[in-house]
Amino acid sequence: MSKSGSITAAGQNLWAKVPKANSELFALTYGSLITELIRDYDQNIPEINNQLDRIGYSIGVRCIDELFAKSEVNGVQIPSCRELRETAEVVAKIGFRMFLGVSCDVGKLTEKSFSLYLSENPLSIFVELPQNEVGVDGSSSHGPDWTQLKYSNVYCGVIRGALEQVNLKVECEFVGDMLQGDDVNEIKVEVKEVIADGAGEDYQEE
Amino acid sequence: MAYLHLFIVNKSGGLIHHRALSHHAPQIGTNEWLRIGSTFHSLHAIAGEASPVKAKHDGIELIEGEGLILCCFQTRTGIKFVITAEPGTRFIQNVLKEIYVAYTDCALKDPFYELEMPIRSDLFSEAVNDIMGRFGNR
Repeated sequence: MSKSGSITAAGQNLWAKVPKANSELFALTYGSLITELIRDYDQNIPEINNQLDRIGYSIGVRCIDELFAKSEVNGVQIPSCRELRETAEVVAKIGFRMFLGVSCDVGKLTEKSFSLYLSENPLSIFVELPQNEVGVDGSSSHGPDWTQLKYSNVYCGVIRGALEQVNLKVECEFVGDMLQGDDVNEIKVEVKEVIADGAGEDYQEE
Repeated sequence: MAYLHLFIVNKSGGLIHHRALSHHAPQIGTNEWLRIGSTFHSLHAIAGEASPVKAKHDGIELIEGEGLILCCFQTRTGIKFVITAEPGTRFIQNVLKEIYVAYTDCALKDPFYELEMPIRSDLFSEAVNDIMGRFGNR
């Protein structure tokens, strides 16, 4: 079996073991979170995107341990990632599968970055973004610019938080969103730094 | 044959949880526990550095003595779960992995629990009791 095949199987195996929640309830809960944020931050779209990222980060730093713990007791092997391609595969095929029941595809792989393509987004079922308000004279009005809203920005935070726990500092950006009319949801992940582990340089032998 | 103590050390060497797993485990004061936690953290790091096999840097997994065995499981996020037990006790690695799951379910999913901080959760204690019950401790 190829390596990526076994990772897919591992993801499916774990998905079978975790407790499930109703997907509609999940999507509706997330939707109400978004409307609450829009209300709290007074339709300040960049700030809402920012807050979603922060929420995701707090989720990510915690949920990665669950992934490792559950894979250990269920006898699912997650290989130690030696290169970025493997990390991307694990995030796409195990992480997304275990927590959301969908898997995504990896693309645009370079030394320092990769993209995740999500054809199914469990957060955005039922969602239609409002149209921008247009003023009476046809010019754009002062309403919020909904095209700037990254509805599923929480993913970016989750990935950033989770990878930080395994010593990878990354930046994530939601670059394609089907809600905004793009063909596919695309999350771009860029590695900024690999945090060194172990004794500091002062303690290294000459 | 019985489990004696459980302690958990966070990735910066701070002790975040300790408890006795059976009533005939020796009594150890909290200050001693903190010292044991950070000493073990350093020894673990030194063992990893001193290992002649460079491909794996796992640190200490098992210490066996005449009166005690100590078993350590380090997660990939750097938390160490350590159990001491009387010689001959079995399934310690399995117990450690179960406790890791209990930690993710009971501590990490608690929104009031802050990462790296001491675990004071009744749910977690109950979960550990439950694991102990399943693995046949008196």
